[in-house]
Amino acid sequence: MTFKRLTRAALLLCAAFSTTAFAHNPMCECKEIPGEQIQCKGGFSDGSGAPGVTLDVIGYDETILVPGKLGEDSTLTFKKPAAEFYVLFDAGPGHVVEIDQADIQAQ
Amino acid sequence: MSKVATVPPSPLRAFWLKWRFHINILLLLVPLGFMPKYFADAALFRGDTGIGERVAGQVQVGPWSLTLAELRNEGPRPDPAGPMKLFNAALCDTCTNQVKATYLRIGKPRSLRAAGVIFFGTPYRMGAALPVPERTPVDAEVWVTMEGWDGSMHQGSIPLSQASPATIAWLNKQGVKP
Repeated sequence: MTFKRLTRAALLLCAAFSTTAFAHNPMCECKEIPGEQIQCKGGFSDGSGAPGVTLDVIGYDETILVPGKLGEDSTLTFKKPAAEFYVLFDAGPGHVVEIDQADIQAQ
Repeated sequence: MSKVATVPPSPLRAFWLKWRFHINILLLLVPLGFMPKYFADAALFRGDTGIGERVAGQVQVGPWSLTLAELRNEGPRPDPAGPMKLFNAALCDTCTNQVKATYLRIGKPRSLRAAGVIFFGTPYRMGAALPVPERTPVDAEVWVTMEGWDGSMHQGSIPLSQASPATIAWLNKQGVKP
């Protein structure tokens, strides 16, 4: 009983003193998959997924080439645009990840 | 008359029985060693020692300005989302009521949507965790984007070497990544 209480107190203390552990920074990874397609997977650094979060493919001239939302599995697959582009994972103002086409690993 | 058999205690137990009082006093002294760091951290987070360990300087952003500081004078810390460097900032006295949001990014933002990470907190002490890609060039600039309540947007920059020499040292130590 005492042990249980002690564990609980220790957990509370850990929660109270962990500031950075609560941060959940947006994360996004894109890779090229067969068939001239690109698959992007979004999420947060606390391990949670990002279903339904906006992921846009934007040209260097700021035109939105593929407006998209991540699916239930936090991924989105789209055809590789012909023009130069970057991927913007947008979970709200200040919670974005940009991935330039040069940073997308080829298959 | 009954005989009581006395078993002599083992040497270890004898040592414990003899010294347990002093050992416990020593245990009570252990936390004292951590006190200076604890109080230094408490003062840093409360703001008693300023907005950060190292104030980088003023950044002029259009009609506004802000004081940028490193929370800790050290390189970026590892995070699942990549290395993160914590910055603090305070808005100028006259702009606290005019600025809606402040963003921070390495390199010039392509658009307001991609302006970088947003600062949280009061205008007098805001904080942001800036992702630092490992292949950041050492001559990179840190860009501050401010959005006003009137809809205006202004940008300003400061060299990364001025914003955080510790991050430059960290980048040099990492070496150039392909």
